[in-house]
Amino acid sequence: MLDMILSQAVNGLVLGFLYVLIAIGLSIIFGMLGIVNFAHGAFFAIGAYLAYALGREFGWWAALAAPLLTGAIGVLVEMVLIRHLYGKEPLLGLILTFALALLAEALLRLIFGGAPVPFAAPKFLAGFVEYGPILITKYRMFVLVSTALVLVLFWAFLAYTPYGRIIRAGSRDPEMVGLLGINLPIVFTGVFSIGCLLAGLGGLLAAPLWTITPSMAAGAIMPAFVIVTIGGLGSFLGAIVAGLLVGLTTAMTIQFQPEWSGAAMYILMAAILLIRPRGLFGERWERFE
Amino acid sequence: MTERTKTRGPTALHIGRRSLLLGATSLAASRLGMPYIGNAAAAEPIKIGMIWAKTGSIVDQAEYLAQGGMLALEQRNGTLLGRPAEIVWLDEPNPQGAQQSAERLVGEQKVVGMVGGALSSFALAISSVAKKAKIPYVAANAATGDLTGKSCNKYTFRLQPPVDVHARILAPYCASIGKKWYLLTASYAFGQDIKRAFTDYITANGGTVVGADEVPVGTPDYSSFILKIRAAKPDVVIGGIAASDLTTFLKQWNELGMKGKIPFAEISVGNTDLWGVGPEAADGLYTITWWYKNPNNSPEEQAMAAAYEKKYNRPAADKAWMGWLGMKSLLDSIEMAKSTEPGAIVQALENWKYRRSDMDIGYRGFDHQMTSRLLVAGIHPKITDKWDYFDVKAELPKTPDDIAKAFGAQADSVCKMDTL
Repeated sequence: MLDMILSQAVNGLVLGFLYVLIAIGLSIIFGMLGIVNFAHGAFFAIGAYLAYALGREFGWWAALAAPLLTGAIGVLVEMVLIRHLYGKEPLLGLILTFALALLAEALLRLIFGGAPVPFAAPKFLAGFVEYGPILITKYRMFVLVSTALVLVLFWAFLAYTPYGRIIRAGSRDPEMVGLLGINLPIVFTGVFSIGCLLAGLGGLLAAPLWTITPSMAAGAIMPAFVIVTIGGLGSFLGAIVAGLLVGLTTAMTIQFQPEWSGAAMYILMAAILLIRPRGLFGERWERFE
Repeated sequence: MTERTKTRGPTALHIGRRSLLLGATSLAASRLGMPYIGNAAAAEPIKIGMIWAKTGSIVDQAEYLAQGGMLALEQRNGTLLGRPAEIVWLDEPNPQGAQQSAERLVGEQKVVGMVGGALSSFALAISSVAKKAKIPYVAANAATGDLTGKSCNKYTFRLQPPVDVHARILAPYCASIGKKWYLLTASYAFGQDIKRAFTDYITANGGTVVGADEVPVGTPDYSSFILKIRAAKPDVVIGGIAASDLTTFLKQWNELGMKGKIPFAEISVGNTDLWGVGPEAADGLYTITWWYKNPNNSPEEQAMAAAYEKKYNRPAADKAWMGWLGMKSLLDSIEMAKSTEPGAIVQALENWKYRRSDMDIGYRGFDHQMTSRLLVAGIHPKITDKWDYFDVKAELPKTPDDIAKAFGAQADSVCKMDTL
């Protein structure tokens, strides 16, 4: 039994990394722009479909462009729709992004049809490795390493580059940053685009594991919201810790009480919010109070 | 109301000469207008309700079910009883949503019959509305036994063979592979029926269930379940997960290196479930209800498949056939009844017959279950056609007697059929 618990724990942490990747973009967009992006799952699905379409037409390597294209779509969406929501009633953002999610799903269905489309990982990532009772597939290792790399790079970008400092300052006090002569609208467009790019990357990496259908967003958006809520809205570190916690909790529930596995993360969220209503790493932000 | 009748009654008898003349003139004039009015009433379209998911985990199958239904009406040039007919298609996001859609179709749209219910839980919800509102309903996809078992009613007809029938056909194949089974089933009516049917079979035949997990609908990651299965070392894994959930499972089953190591079997899968898996990961032993390449398909089915492929530029999936046949049975029955009166349609549905291969199929009177054959299929070792995954092994049961036996006799049925 101990072997099985160890095996499930490792598997849960690997699954958690995939969840972190899906949730981190949502956390960034909320943290920096104050928008609760219901369409985040739609960008995840767009990333998966772009990977499928590019992979089918030009081969696996072309699929790597899917996150960049998703980020480009994010630029357009921000410039046309999202930027009108800054500083407005949060409910407007919820309604608009919810409508956007429905529209994106309908467009995907119109273009690609409702049936699932196949997408496999490249052959060099097929297979698995075993260390005693622990089994990890090469592809999940690849997802884990990719996610860790992206998180480190993004953290370094925010912490050590002038652009990162502008983004962080702009998220706390946009007026002051504007008064310093910085073109904030462009910065915000960039932030939204990065959030969408990360969702697209999540879609690309999940595509060989999950079913690619227009409604696949639903499977991504709920864990993402739970993770962001548990970690604390807008907290980078919180999203990472919460993602791993959710992965671990889900795997352990499957081992001992499988019929509860769908509800486990919600129970975890409720328990944490009872103790820390702002989430594990949530802070008080004047801007959102 | 009584007071108004009393006061109006006597005055209505005092019709003056002028009023009489005016009335007669109006009546004469109306003779010119009447045919116009009459034609307008006749041109009022007959509405058929269709409830297939537009959102959610079953939506990929529902698209084909809906297209099949639409095709059935198009093949009649959109007319019924010499009048225009139209399909009103509403969503079924969940069982409550399915019930609300059925209530809207009956209450607002005044439909004369309904087809739909992609998942068993949805179909049970629609069936309860059909019973209450006394509107004929054809459940074309749901497989739970309850629909034509303990929850049967006079207005509900079911096309898909129930879980028990699928299980009776597939279980002997699985038992011939090995007697240690692991069950992975969805945590709703369809999955629970599979769990019960296969557990009953293997325990009655000297085997054991080495593990059984119920899986929530829409589970995105099965890796932890697969690790449990791997540790239990069963001879066969019996699945009971539907649509895109099955697709996800098979992708991850292959990813974790289980494809080809432990055989996987499941009843009542659809083409679309496998198309999304991809040739690299597709695996398993299945029962399917219809296959577009079956040489035993009737000329009418072949014509439907050709029309579908021409229109949608892809082969007709089994779900397209189910949507088509479910709708066709309802439309045929309305024509047979020569009426849109629900009772007459129900009686026509009970008498409706359709020639397939060497036998007539139709809905049984005592439980309204359609009886037909099923196909047992594996997966081609090498898939060269992106639409053609199934390697059909048999069409069973072979004889009409065996079919009747597989579907169970009236004496064994728990259905207590009500009256019109």
